[in-house]
Amino acid sequence: MDTPEVSSNLCSKSGYTFPFLSDPKAEVIRRYDLLHVGGGPEKTDISRPAEFLVDATGTVRWVNFTEDIRLRAKSDDMLAAAKAIPQIQN
Amino acid sequence: MNQPIPAMGAMYQRRRNRALFDGSVVMVLAILSNFPVLYALNFPGQGLLPWISLALPAISVVFFIVALKRAFGQPEMYRGKILGSILGVLSVLLFAGSILLFQHLKDLPKSAAAPQVGQKAPDFTLNDTGGKPVSLSQLLATPIDTTSGKAPKAVLLVFYRGYW
Repeated sequence: MDTPEVSSNLCSKSGYTFPFLSDPKAEVIRRYDLLHVGGGPEKTDISRPAEFLVDATGTVRWVNFTEDIRLRAKSDDMLAAAKAIPQIQN
Repeated sequence: MNQPIPAMGAMYQRRRNRALFDGSVVMVLAILSNFPVLYALNFPGQGLLPWISLALPAISVVFFIVALKRAFGQPEMYRGKILGSILGVLSVLLFAGSILLFQHLKDLPKSAAAPQVGQKAPDFTLNDTGGKPVSLSQLLATPIDTTSGKAPKAVLLVFYRGYW
């Protein structure tokens, strides 16, 4: 939901170098059915936390929908899921 | 044969109400268990933290019930009527607050229509931090490792609540 400016700020503060996309109108958040209506500050709509691992064919190979907003996907689990995907020859 | 007579003060000295101390320690631990840093760290059993934050206040309430039973039931033996009452009320408030917080943090949309394992992830295009449009299909096809020139095995999509 953050604008590219806010995300840019976060990236430079946190040292993130991966592609960081903004969805200020929650279009993709809605398409992925992740909109948390009134879940943000002052009852604004935000995204619920969720993680998807998508393989080269565009197929979802691993997902994580947390049951508690404080608990997020573990880096170890995400790495293991990524390693389980066979490398496609190209 | 000269038995010392215990002083009156010592004879009627009341015992420390140990449950008051235990309940207070558990109450402090309950508050600490909510610290965000615990969720930023990576350790086994982290998934139990929300339950621990709910259970600890309940345990502290039990300790204060014991403490108050002693203080009011055997006042000749135990101290802590006033302190126990104050801490007891605080622990009940903390427990009530913990229940509300527990429910609030788990109050998430069902996301029943979200892509599941085996399904195609819907393609999309969004702007990156530089304002440049980037699509999922583009990310899946763009080599990260420029030396091998190979497209990535996969892309990890992380949706978060905005800034956190």
